[in-house]
Amino acid sequence: MKFVLNTGRTVPQGTSVEHKGSDTYRTVASAGFLNPIDMMLLGIEDGDRIRLTTPAGHIVLTSRPAEGVVRGEVFVAIGPYANHIISSETHGTGMPDFKSQSVDVEPTGEPVKSVGELMEAIGGLRF
Amino acid sequence: MTELWVKNACVIDPIRGINGEIMDIAIRDGRIVESVSDRADVIDAQRCLTLPGGIDSHTHVSGTKVNFGRYMSPEDMRAGRTKRKGKMHVTSGYYVPTTFGNSYRYSAMGYTTLLEGAMAPLEARHTHEEFTATPHQDMMANTLFDGNWAVMDAVREKDVRKTAAVVAWTLKAARGYGIKLTNPGGTEAWGWGEDLTGIHDMVPHFAVTPAEIITTMIRANELLKLPHSVHLHCNNLGKPGNYQTTLETFELVPDLNAARQTLYATHVQFHAYGGGTWKNICSKAEEITRSVNSKPQIVMDMGQIMFGRTMTMTADGPMEFNLHCLHNNKWSNHDVELETGSGIIPVTYSKKSAVNCIMWAIGLELALLTKNPYQCLLETDNPNGAPFVKYPEVIGLLMSKRYRDEECATLAAGVEQRTSLCALEREMDWHDIAVMTRAGQAKALGIGSQGKGHLGVGAEADIAIYPIRTDSVDPAREYRKVVEGFQKTRYTIKRGRVVSRDGEIIVDGANATFWVDAKVPEDLKMENDPEFIKRFEQFYTVRMSNYPVQDVYLPRGRRIETEVFT
Amino acid sequence: MIEHDVVCPFCGCLCDDLEIETEGGRIVKVQNGCALAESTFMNDVRLPAPIRRTETGWEDISYQEAIKETAEILQGADRPLLYGWSSTHGEAQSVGVHIAELIGAVIDNTSTVCHGPSILAIQEVGHPGCTLGQVKNRADVIIYWGCNPVEAHPRHMSRYTTYATGFFVPDAQRERTVIVVDTRRTDTAGIADEFVQIEHGGDYAVLSALRAIVRGKASVIPAKVAGVSKEQLIRIAEICKTAKFGAIFFGLGLTMSRGKYKNIRNAIELTDELNRYTKFVISPLRGHGNVYGSNEVFTWMTGYPFAVDFARGIAFYNPGETTAVDILRRGECDAALIVASDPGANFPRAAAAHLAKIPTIVIDPHVNATTALSRIHIPCTAAGIDAAGTAYRMDGVPIRLKKVIDRGYPDDAEILKKIYDHLNGGKGP
Repeated sequence: MKFVLNTGRTVPQGTSVEHKGSDTYRTVASAGFLNPIDMMLLGIEDGDRIRLTTPAGHIVLTSRPAEGVVRGEVFVAIGPYANHIISSETHGTGMPDFKSQSVDVEPTGEPVKSVGELMEAIGGLRF
Repeated sequence: MTELWVKNACVIDPIRGINGEIMDIAIRDGRIVESVSDRADVIDAQRCLTLPGGIDSHTHVSGTKVNFGRYMSPEDMRAGRTKRKGKMHVTSGYYVPTTFGNSYRYSAMGYTTLLEGAMAPLEARHTHEEFTATPHQDMMANTLFDGNWAVMDAVREKDVRKTAAVVAWTLKAARGYGIKLTNPGGTEAWGWGEDLTGIHDMVPHFAVTPAEIITTMIRANELLKLPHSVHLHCNNLGKPGNYQTTLETFELVPDLNAARQTLYATHVQFHAYGGGTWKNICSKAEEITRSVNSKPQIVMDMGQIMFGRTMTMTADGPMEFNLHCLHNNKWSNHDVELETGSGIIPVTYSKKSAVNCIMWAIGLELALLTKNPYQCLLETDNPNGAPFVKYPEVIGLLMSKRYRDEECATLAAGVEQRTSLCALEREMDWHDIAVMTRAGQAKALGIGSQGKGHLGVGAEADIAIYPIRTDSVDPAREYRKVVEGFQKTRYTIKRGRVVSRDGEIIVDGANATFWVDAKVPEDLKMENDPEFIKRFEQFYTVRMSNYPVQDVYLPRGRRIETEVFT
Repeated sequence: MIEHDVVCPFCGCLCDDLEIETEGGRIVKVQNGCALAESTFMNDVRLPAPIRRTETGWEDISYQEAIKETAEILQGADRPLLYGWSSTHGEAQSVGVHIAELIGAVIDNTSTVCHGPSILAIQEVGHPGCTLGQVKNRADVIIYWGCNPVEAHPRHMSRYTTYATGFFVPDAQRERTVIVVDTRRTDTAGIADEFVQIEHGGDYAVLSALRAIVRGKASVIPAKVAGVSKEQLIRIAEICKTAKFGAIFFGLGLTMSRGKYKNIRNAIELTDELNRYTKFVISPLRGHGNVYGSNEVFTWMTGYPFAVDFARGIAFYNPGETTAVDILRRGECDAALIVASDPGANFPRAAAAHLAKIPTIVIDPHVNATTALSRIHIPCTAAGIDAAGTAYRMDGVPIRLKKVIDRGYPDDAEILKKIYDHLNGGKGP
């Protein structure tokens, strides 16, 4: 299904932002919040994994229901998970489309990667 | 020990009564002395015009609104930029240059001391940070009190001593130099989008008038024995017909200080308009100068405008909004809780605009009609009337009737009838200019005793040597040589070191910041006043303990302590 | 020992009323702070010593070695990028600008992916704003647009707006009308008197509609604008026009969504329009504690708030070209110095990936995602915890961050000065 990827700050993301290697951070930054009706249509339940795909790549997240999220939107805390699939195009402003990236969402059985794994996927090395 | 020997200098030092004598100046460790040893470095001034370092007693170069002027103006940053070279950092900007740009260009013009015209106490730390990055001038900050709640409360209670105590506490907290009132009361009204229309209007919710604020602050200022007087930006700036407000304000001012004026009225050009609309605006410079000529207690500065693009920035928020509604260009506003306001808009003064031409003429008229040059100082309210780099042109205009006539011939129609500039024959001499650019400022700011504005033994060795031979230049005819000469010193000497040579900075700066620690009796100390503390903690958004500027922000702070009053 | 009136360096609110209890050089308790503040001070796990990446892993190196190698990398680079700066103090930022000037680098700060578009809008139309105390003491209408202070600036409402007792607003909760505009029904929306839910990408249209209504042109507005009913828009416009003092706060919902800086420009022009009827102000909710300070320091030193390129010798600014994401995306820089920020986590993947391809040095107290992409990570003090320095609050008020404890780390300003000295043949800035 087609969705719009929206990102933003959250308190759990903020409290763990200086501990990006932690499990807590992995949990909060890799949660994909969806409207419950959309989750029903996708045939998934709280905690099921979803795969988000854009021209820039794909990422696996854990789905979470949220009434406040409108239909057709998936909300993810700002961070390396959302950024893994956001295009680096800035349209001449310096600012990528952090809040309006179009994505395909589908259920998946793949695991959620750690931040370290994400960084290693782009040539980094975990400390 | 460092020694410098400046020989063959053609010195004009008005404070010491020296007018064009060829003399030598001896300098040791930053101060002027009787003589130096034969190991001293020598500068041969070659009979060039040599003056005490220039002093700007009203300029906007540092702090929140100046930086916001830069922030919002990439177009200006592109308009003036230089590369890193030797000791000089990169600079950007023409009418709101970066701090280094300000410092280098002032230094090239022989200026060694600046008074920042407006500092909100809550944001004082910012001003001081930029002072540190303006390294070649000694700095001072006028501290804004025009909408200060504690001051207005004390004024309403007609309590001069309490007013003085609030001023003393705030000056110390902000590391400020003197009292600045910008559209007194009006900036508080602007907190509600309103303004005041005269000095007897009531400030909403505070039940005081600008007249009461001004007179009480004058008395508090003198009670505290502050070196500078109250420094006032009158109400109704920039409005046709406002000269009456200005005259009424001047009438309020008693003569309370033998050493200097009792009121410094700034950028009076903007406050000397007759008429009632932009269509019939005219000059009231004659009326204003008649008042000033009869009142030694008043010193003003010109607030000269010069044609071209610049940026207006002032604590006078409502005025800037009115101006914005005329220009419809970009507009910034920044009101400061419990204290003051501010506004910024870019403007272009054009010779095609009759209003702009009249404004230009008024500034010059004010200077030419003021008999005593100590009472009308040369400034452009940088950058409001023009960037300070235009000062040499202003000097040229004051010294040459021919230059004025040539300019007048290019102005919009109708200007001649609405100002008297074309009829003024006066041509100022070198001595007048020396008064209007340093001696007058030193006296008005009360920094003569700090060794500023003169070249007497013991003075700080701040000296400007211009490539001008007064014996061979006729300023009335060769005004272009005058303008060029004042644009770039041969040497600018700051505290005994040559900092600038032929316009190029050759050392790292080591400026000082002057601030006033005004003493009050123990029972009047605001830091012990429970009501003051309570209101502070309730209504400010920073804690009282985090408000005062720490000493670390003034790496070369110079504290001026006053005597406690009784 | 209890230290009073401590400033929290985490977000742009810079709350300065924290009480912090220390015991034997450790912070044991934080009072008055929000959850973000508490975690900032309490869960402050540091990288113990400088590290360098090897073929197979990481090795500890000395500060001296780390600084020397950093200087050599920067010296040898043709197009170095110096990025970050927003979580440290102005003193470090200032040295950073001097380094950039010296070596002809590009220097950019995190506003580039935060309120950079707000700055672009302000450069077009200006910024009618004020300090937060003006809002606290006067505002009877508060609008949060595209932001979520409950999550991102948890004490904004209690210190400065909705719940704050002000001089002219003694009964804040009753006297203030709160309007929240967002695409999501956030927790902030939950406390609003009016919640305006906009369709994705509809901010510009809704702002234009409000401007038209304020100007008395309601007749041109269709029944629904980006999902918002005309009735609600007219009601909102009326609340604004009849306010005594209105304040708009906006966040990344405007800067990052479609239209970007044009959204902000429209919001500022709405504010401008409203000032013809009453008093209105607008302000961005700035994220990092001292991101505004990085804009201020950059501006007084270079003339530009972010994205400054010294390659030509002069300071050059062209967002979209000289902004960090664009320079990385184009693979343009050949070395990077990352200070007090985490582009590895916060930049789109393609931009972050370039950091791993070039020698990247991180100067930051904490291990973060960028550490994994770096060649060297040099730990330092955290401004506001074990280092004092200047920070600028989101409204431009400068506040001195305090040093609460000493953990034995060098200040990042000191590390940067040493790098500068190396680059400048032993002479400081």
